[in-house]
Amino acid sequence: MTPKLDKQEMRNYLLGSLEAERRAALEESILCDPGIYEELVVVEEELIDEYITNNLSPSERQQFETHFLITAERQKKLRFGRLLRRYLDSQPVFVSPDDIPAPVVRQDKIDAPATKFFSFATGSFARGATLTVSSAVVVILVILTLVCWRANRKPDTVQENSPNPIPYTLTPASLRSEDAGTQRVKAPPKGVNVRLNLEVTNTNFRNYRAGLFREKNFVQTADELKAEPNGEQRVVPWTIAGEVLSPGDYQIKLSGVAESGPDAFVDNYSFRVTKK
Amino acid sequence: MKHDWFLSQEAFDDLLDWLDQDREQAGVKYEEIRRRLIKIFTGRACVEAEDLADETINRVTSRLSEIKKGFTGDRARYFFGVANKVYMEYMRRKQPQPPPPSTTDSYQVELEYRCLEHCIESLSEENRYLLLKYYGAEGRSKVDQRKQLAEELGVAPNALRIRAYRIRLGLQECVEKCTERSEA
Repeated sequence: MTPKLDKQEMRNYLLGSLEAERRAALEESILCDPGIYEELVVVEEELIDEYITNNLSPSERQQFETHFLITAERQKKLRFGRLLRRYLDSQPVFVSPDDIPAPVVRQDKIDAPATKFFSFATGSFARGATLTVSSAVVVILVILTLVCWRANRKPDTVQENSPNPIPYTLTPASLRSEDAGTQRVKAPPKGVNVRLNLEVTNTNFRNYRAGLFREKNFVQTADELKAEPNGEQRVVPWTIAGEVLSPGDYQIKLSGVAESGPDAFVDNYSFRVTKK
Repeated sequence: MKHDWFLSQEAFDDLLDWLDQDREQAGVKYEEIRRRLIKIFTGRACVEAEDLADETINRVTSRLSEIKKGFTGDRARYFFGVANKVYMEYMRRKQPQPPPPSTTDSYQVELEYRCLEHCIESLSEENRYLLLKYYGAEGRSKVDQRKQLAEELGVAPNALRIRAYRIRLGLQECVEKCTERSEA
């Protein structure tokens, strides 16, 4: 007889924390019930995604690293999960109008589009499902939105007379080891800027373009950033007004501006802004 | 246990016959049992999960003439009992160390990324759309977006989860093959 097993029990099983009796019942079901097996492998992938996006609790995270990742097969799955996340993060961001932060869209000037499309998301970014007639309309609306926003974005501008910006070096997703923790940036005091040094391995571009997102919501963009040496590394520095960085999870998408043709996606940089 | 026992073609054919009279179905059942045994051993944190699954199958096969006489019921369940014995023996032996976490080689990562782009492009338009929408959703809007996607496609939320998983699994296999080809 198949015992009733919920998703939480499957998570506990995969993390090695399910009590022995329930574990035996689940394992028997894995062999005899195709539905249970399929559910288990789906939960396994979801766990991997939650680990990658830092959505596991500290204890689950520890169990994931010490128990779940013990086999080479699961390590391969984690590696693939990271790769897929990197690809998805390079794609246009679909958000509902409710998710668009107030400074970005001026509702009195333009009707909110159903979908927001990051302005430099062209070329390889725009492949696939977004190539529809409706997305073209959305692009036009968003360009208009950004034009309106850029003209009114005083709160996000860098403080010219602020003290020296506080530097932080961010490692891109493609170079981060699997056991590396979250990169952290302290929320700066009022009026102080932050200089984010984005490590790059591809320095073939004359200019770079960066977009800052807070939990998938677009915050701001910068053009004409340039790579420069920073010790033995090459970095693309981006100075951001401290006021922009309230505590939360952020992501920067960096692209290289090609001599001709569309921009080329370079990498993602994830970090968490913590309280002062 | 018969330590010197090897799985011959004849013994393997007997096993398939026992699993199902239809040879094609028997092959499918064999693969499913093996895959699930691997999952069970992995769940018990066995580094050599595949070897233990094969050992379990070999033991069942080696005793098949005896099993056939008295056993009735779900055949897959029989493997579970044998797997428990194999596991206990494994625990008594010196356990191998888990493999070290794979190192990050930027060339390899870039190669895999190019393969992923290629594999995603080769998906059907519908599957690509589903993949991007399902896994692209994040944060607080994730649940709503997935619910909306399920409604749009006219499927139950759980069916959507499984469909997305299957696409992802196929994608991972495609990337692995592409990477192997590129390295060869």
